[in-house]
Amino acid sequence: MSEEPRIGVFVCHCGLNIAGVIDINEVVNYASALPNVVYVKDNRYTCADPGQEEIRKGIEERKLNRVIVAACSPRLHEPTFRRCIAEAGLNPYVFEMANIREFSSWCHPSTPKEATEKAREIIKMAVAKARLLQPLETMEVPVTNKALVLGGGIAGINAALDLADMGFKVYLVEKKESIGGHMAQLDKTFPTLDCSICIEGPKMVDVSRHPNIEIISFADLLRVEGYVGNFRVRIRKNPRYIIEENCTGCGECKDVCPIEYPNDWDMNMGVRKTISVPFDQAVPLIYGINMDHCIECYKCVDACGARQAIDFSQEPEEVELEVGAIIVATGFDIYLPYDNSLYGYGKYDNVITALELERLVLAAGPTGGKVIRASDGKKPKSVVFIQCVGSRDVNKYEYCSGFCCMYALKNSILIKEKYHDDVEIYIVYMDMRTHFKGYEEFYLRAREMGINFIRGRAIHILEDSKTKNLIIRAEDMTLGEPVEIEAELAVLCTAAIPSKGSDETARILNVTRGTDGFFMESHPKLKPIDTAVDGIFLAGACQAPKDIPYSVSQGSGAAARAATILSKPTWKIEPIIAVVDPEKCRNTKVKCGICAQRCPYGSIKAPEGKPAQVTMAMCHGCGTCAAECPSDAITQMHFTDAQIFAQIQAALEENPEEKILAFLCNWCSYAGADLAGTSRFEYPPTIRAIRVMCSGRVDRDFVLEAFRRGAGMVLVAACHLPYDCHYISGNWKMKARMEALAMILEKLGLSPERFRVDYISAAEGVKFAELIKELTGQMETLGKERIRPENEKLRPTLERMLSRKRK
Amino acid sequence: MPEKDENREKEKAQRVVLRITDMDPEFKYGIRKIPGAEKIMLCFQCGTCTADCPIARFSDSYRPRKLMRMTQLGLKDRVLSSEVIWLCAACFTCVDHCPQDVEIASVLRALRNLAVKEGHMPIVHREIASNVLKTGYAYKIPKLRLRKREEQGLPALPKANPESIMKLFDITGFSKTLEKVRT
Repeated sequence: MSEEPRIGVFVCHCGLNIAGVIDINEVVNYASALPNVVYVKDNRYTCADPGQEEIRKGIEERKLNRVIVAACSPRLHEPTFRRCIAEAGLNPYVFEMANIREFSSWCHPSTPKEATEKAREIIKMAVAKARLLQPLETMEVPVTNKALVLGGGIAGINAALDLADMGFKVYLVEKKESIGGHMAQLDKTFPTLDCSICIEGPKMVDVSRHPNIEIISFADLLRVEGYVGNFRVRIRKNPRYIIEENCTGCGECKDVCPIEYPNDWDMNMGVRKTISVPFDQAVPLIYGINMDHCIECYKCVDACGARQAIDFSQEPEEVELEVGAIIVATGFDIYLPYDNSLYGYGKYDNVITALELERLVLAAGPTGGKVIRASDGKKPKSVVFIQCVGSRDVNKYEYCSGFCCMYALKNSILIKEKYHDDVEIYIVYMDMRTHFKGYEEFYLRAREMGINFIRGRAIHILEDSKTKNLIIRAEDMTLGEPVEIEAELAVLCTAAIPSKGSDETARILNVTRGTDGFFMESHPKLKPIDTAVDGIFLAGACQAPKDIPYSVSQGSGAAARAATILSKPTWKIEPIIAVVDPEKCRNTKVKCGICAQRCPYGSIKAPEGKPAQVTMAMCHGCGTCAAECPSDAITQMHFTDAQIFAQIQAALEENPEEKILAFLCNWCSYAGADLAGTSRFEYPPTIRAIRVMCSGRVDRDFVLEAFRRGAGMVLVAACHLPYDCHYISGNWKMKARMEALAMILEKLGLSPERFRVDYISAAEGVKFAELIKELTGQMETLGKERIRPENEKLRPTLERMLSRKRK
Repeated sequence: MPEKDENREKEKAQRVVLRITDMDPEFKYGIRKIPGAEKIMLCFQCGTCTADCPIARFSDSYRPRKLMRMTQLGLKDRVLSSEVIWLCAACFTCVDHCPQDVEIASVLRALRNLAVKEGHMPIVHREIASNVLKTGYAYKIPKLRLRKREEQGLPALPKANPESIMKLFDITGFSKTLEKVRT
């Protein structure tokens, strides 16, 4: 847009939310005098229909070609107003928001004069940026309308069935030989005590019969390339040594096979034949040979006969799939507490995990449904359930595993139903968590049956070496007395942990994991199924421990989310991406490729001798490459160097040494600052914030420019390390860059406290407010008298360092 | 005024219900600032500390979990004047096993320090302190013992230097503390 900018500024009262603190008239008068501002209008509620109408009218009547709304946070209403100006015929990207509510009126209510001044400057910064805004065109990419579901547990099964019923082709990839997941291992399900496999089995069969679903079991995920709508996935099918098409699942081979080995489906308490399926209801019903145990007697080959399904020469096979969306449903594992010496698991025969008990209670299990002790094969007369083994322990797994309370109740009830008053059951628990439908009633049922509840945490299990009974020590907190319970069987209700291989899956998919190791959703409340990568969704316990109803719902939810992409012929991508100027790129002359290395998404390729290229659909727009590029050849659209430099200049024109110039990343620290506002935490009005999508965008030059312009302090705030970054690792790149810069600045004579890097999550409004208080305090202690001469001393060096930019 | 206070005390002794006015909400913030006691508010009352406490197995009144609870609630007077806070053997078993990393033994140390500041110190500890001040040893070694050492050919015990000890007591302010708890 080469025409002269004609900026309209719409100042919102937000009822009294803004107007109650800020002098709107003063702000309006101030904004009218800013360069290129041709129209200023204040409204009681700009986001309401009449307010939006004012904007559309302004655009039409005053021929506006840039629009600023000075109101709330862009995280709230930027999409609203972008739509609004698009309706009036403007490009949605010539819009800028000045956040004078969360960043001023709400956080400085007791200093209206300073709040008004801050609001003025926020608008000034927005105008400075708006003058340089460029219209951007939304890109469209074609969509492959097939889906990949990773993991065939109950969540994956549901996601696959829903998508298939909607008419999309689904590849259901499972690591194990059969789909079904943990649910297929369970006896009954709480709170209604339906038989688990009886309700899951039919669904598994539905999957195998569905014309739109292709099950690829006993397979590993090797590689994923591409982007939303266009993923290329490489899968390795491991050899079963059986020709799938020829196997009828009759099981005659199994009958003649002489070798047995422990069946991990039965938690290694039962055995299976070397040629077998893990359990009778396995889907797909294809036998497999375990070559670790096979003695190659070929009896199975004879038994199979004319069907000729056995092929000892089978090799791993790799297949390539093309899909438009991916649902990750890789589930969880159960923690086996071998490393906890206090509970004696693996040392004492009669200490088992709850999943082992599940296989004992189950009629189809290795003991035919008899609950017996490993030490003597006898039925225990007393059973103790120990809750929170590994869970809710900051030294092991900090989180609550969610479903253990319920399955302990369930197993207690099942044992009690089997053996009635012949068995005494104790549940040693810290808190009994029975929310959700029908769960509390289930707890009531357990109490009615006479199950003993001891509130406290079991700390120690000792074994009586003669009887092999167990002595469990705890404090009965309700009595306030230490207790010792002697029991014949102890069941550890252990933590649910991220499934083995989650790290590998996360790496392949570029999906982030939380500190607990589970996959992270894009937003904990409003995008609980999406990941930070477009087109990849989460379902079930791979995100956090979940019970069956929750996993089923999320499976369906993920299917619906995936369908929003798959149902369209093309998909729109935000144009806030990186663009390389081939003229400036130095990769044509020397081997550089820094951008390609730093890009968290692998979306940049820098072939030798050629300028770097960005695969636009893969670029998420963090801007890390733009900040890292040594020759400033990369521009991040909508967050260009020129725009940010203009914001810095506008922020620091008056009394710069009294200000903290802050670069806040959109997803965490800006949101944290918003929260400080919405929570009405008051902090000094010293900060001037510039929003960037990711802290990775913060160029060294921005910091240098801020100090050149005399800033009192500079703050760069990011998402928490190690996993919180919404662009996978932008915060790490920023950290490395800023640590190096801090050393340089300190050597040049800058007081170290004047340049700060910190990490603030979207939930840490308090931390943000405290940080600004702390920084303001430090700035005041230093005083203008020290800051000014320091800046004077620094300026020539900074100008030299910035000379390239200033050209 | 003193009469009023007395009345209040009487009333307090009679009633069984714990009132919000018995709790000092500031107490926890103060405790939290003491090194080792930072995580006091993380305690979620699981009783691990009490279940594995060697003292709790032999005392029907010492319950570290309850002491953590009282501290969280700010039952300042009750917890600081309590005799049981002095029973902790500082074996740190509770610290090793706490699922929330609360340093229970350190919280108790902090409580004891505060108790002394408030003038509460059991007589045993007072006696030990004055013995150290007087003789340089935690307790006065009887003449018989010294003679026996000589008979067995053991070297004489090192002589204490009460003057230096006194100096240490003065510098650290312990002398004043002792005086305070004596009165």
